[in-house]
Amino acid sequence: MDCILPDQISGRAYAPMSSHQFQAKLVIRSKSDPGADNTVELTNEAGAIVSTAVVSDIKVEAPLGKQPRRLTFPDGAMFETGAHQKVEQLFGKDRLGWLHKLEAFHPRLIGIVLACGFAVWLIYRFGLDVLVAGAIALTPPLVVEQIDRGTLQAIDFQMAKPSTLSAEEKARVEDIFAKLLPHIATVPDGTGFQLLFRSMPGVGPNAFALPGGTVVMTDQFVKKFPEDDILASVLGHEIGHVVERHGLRQVYRSLTTYILVALIAGETGPLLEDVLLEGNLLLSLSYSRQHETSADRFGVGLANRAGFNPNGLRSFFERMAKTGGQPPQWLSTHPNSKDRVTSINGFIQELNR
Amino acid sequence: MNDSAAHDKLRPFDFRGSAKEWFGIWIVNLLLTICTFGIYSAWAKVRRKKYFYNNTYVEGRNFDYHATGKQILIGRILIVVAIAVFQLASSLNQWLALGLVGIVIFFIPWMVARALMFNARMSSFSNVRFDFVGTPTRAAIPFILLPFFALATFLGLIFGGGYQLANGEPIGALLILLAFPFVVFIYPAIDRQMKRFSVNNHRLGTAEFSLSAGYWLFVGAAFKAALLLILFIAFSGLVLVFLSQVIGGPFAAFVTEVGDEITLEENWWVFLRNYLATLFVGYFTSVFAALIYQALVRNVVYNHTILGGEFRFRSDISAGGIFWIAITNFVAVVATLGLMLPWAQIRLAKYMADHTFGVAGGSLDRFVSVQGEAGMAVGDAYSDIEGLDLGLPI
Repeated sequence: MDCILPDQISGRAYAPMSSHQFQAKLVIRSKSDPGADNTVELTNEAGAIVSTAVVSDIKVEAPLGKQPRRLTFPDGAMFETGAHQKVEQLFGKDRLGWLHKLEAFHPRLIGIVLACGFAVWLIYRFGLDVLVAGAIALTPPLVVEQIDRGTLQAIDFQMAKPSTLSAEEKARVEDIFAKLLPHIATVPDGTGFQLLFRSMPGVGPNAFALPGGTVVMTDQFVKKFPEDDILASVLGHEIGHVVERHGLRQVYRSLTTYILVALIAGETGPLLEDVLLEGNLLLSLSYSRQHETSADRFGVGLANRAGFNPNGLRSFFERMAKTGGQPPQWLSTHPNSKDRVTSINGFIQELNR
Repeated sequence: MNDSAAHDKLRPFDFRGSAKEWFGIWIVNLLLTICTFGIYSAWAKVRRKKYFYNNTYVEGRNFDYHATGKQILIGRILIVVAIAVFQLASSLNQWLALGLVGIVIFFIPWMVARALMFNARMSSFSNVRFDFVGTPTRAAIPFILLPFFALATFLGLIFGGGYQLANGEPIGALLILLAFPFVVFIYPAIDRQMKRFSVNNHRLGTAEFSLSAGYWLFVGAAFKAALLLILFIAFSGLVLVFLSQVIGGPFAAFVTEVGDEITLEENWWVFLRNYLATLFVGYFTSVFAALIYQALVRNVVYNHTILGGEFRFRSDISAGGIFWIAITNFVAVVATLGLMLPWAQIRLAKYMADHTFGVAGGSLDRFVSVQGEAGMAVGDAYSDIEGLDLGLPI
């Protein structure tokens, strides 16, 4: 038996699967049996029934702002109404009602803004490191080895020529490198240290390390800085990059930041998107400078333990500082030479203590 | 009198969203996205699209977006995993990397077609779903083949010309000079093919969209954008000359140093100024030129699109208007560390809606839905992360 007093909501509706719009009423016929599902009828201006369904078959859209609530019938008819309270009475509170309440313009939002700022800081300060450490742990040693091989191929192809150093010169530097290796405290899994020489006139006096343990030194470096102590501490610095996984960290960090920025910022509109990515670049530069300082500390320590004079790195940067001015720090991947000399002095004092 | 008669037939687009209301939704989206390490971003996207679609009205009927957060999330996970594998694999070996780029290029038309279809089938107006019937094969022409040949020709002209010049052949200068008109004439042709692919394959229910805009209208937009770009560069050049000649001092050095090779042996101030000058002149002006071109092309597309053989559209965005909105929005957002972003987005949406109209045509009651599966959101996720703009052009 149908109940005598049907509840009803007025609003606007669209015919099933069509854009035909009409003024409509939603009539609820509750059953006397409390456990049974109520029936809902959609009627047009003339009072004729357009569509019928039981309550549980009707899809009720979650509330969003002050938008009319939308109710979709199984046959594709759609009813919309601004009578939010009545919809809630008849269909119950929406699962996402708490979200709608949270989104309302209210002083509480100030707290949410602060929470966002704090969360961004947390992610930047700790979250990224956790994600990056996880990614590094998941990277098989074989892949790291292959990165070395691939990068070296690319460098040889693009900018390096075979070394022209004499066998004695090479042997001398290799000897220094070999003396350093036994003094490394912990070597990451799958690291195979090797020292290679290349002639790179375009790059000048330089040395760099690849994540798998390949250290490359240019002929130009050996020619310009032949002193054992300088060679030892610069090689120690490059070994530091390998041991502390700086190369992998930078690759994973920029990848993670890129994905997070894309997901979090969403559609920012013209101009802003480009600026966000430029900003990301500046941040990654600061990260790279931290790595340089950390590798300096490592290099000084390693050279010292292997019996070289730890002042070698300092005299190297003092000579570099004399060669000319440098860009401001925040535009560079490396700290400027003067600052490095100052921090290296600190590291040397730590050693003497 | 003509004017008022024409206005009678207009059906203005009306955007009813408010910055206050959107701010609350946006900040909650942001907080939940951060707290879940980006996972909630899928649901956040749905809420954002729903908010902007729901608040866009034509004659009291609005748009709606029907995708669920779960669908978007699955698409995004697949794409993020694919990107990670791609990055890792391509750092192993340069030939493997080259092969992977080939595979990705092969998949782009598929992604584009899937993204357009997913987005169309998840969108509705007045209870009727949109649809998209374009195939990946057809997408390959405007999205891969034409850009590839155009880019190859452009780079050929630039580098070929540079090579000739370096060898003392004056014909090289001619080749390089040819490269720029090439952009103004060829890019609009490719863009027109993209727009035709997008518009002509969209449906509202069973009603078909069709775009009849000719090639020269697109060239006209490119010409206007290029002209504004040249005027802007000339103007900023004049300002610099004025500063250096009349005010002098630090500005005098500026003009002579711009364009000099940047050597680190000079002091860092020179480096910084040159860096900023290059960034400003080279980068921002081209971004603005692109923005203005897109605004003008939007007008062309709307003004030459017919829906269901009877419904026409009108868009009258002005280059100056969109330029002003972009600049002031940018300043407001940066100055408030992003807090004004919701306001800026609402303002842009309002401006767009205020300059968009339906024109004449019969009753909006006549559209009928067709049923169709939307498929996976992989293409949609790809276009989100790569920043492609493939949504409905509302």
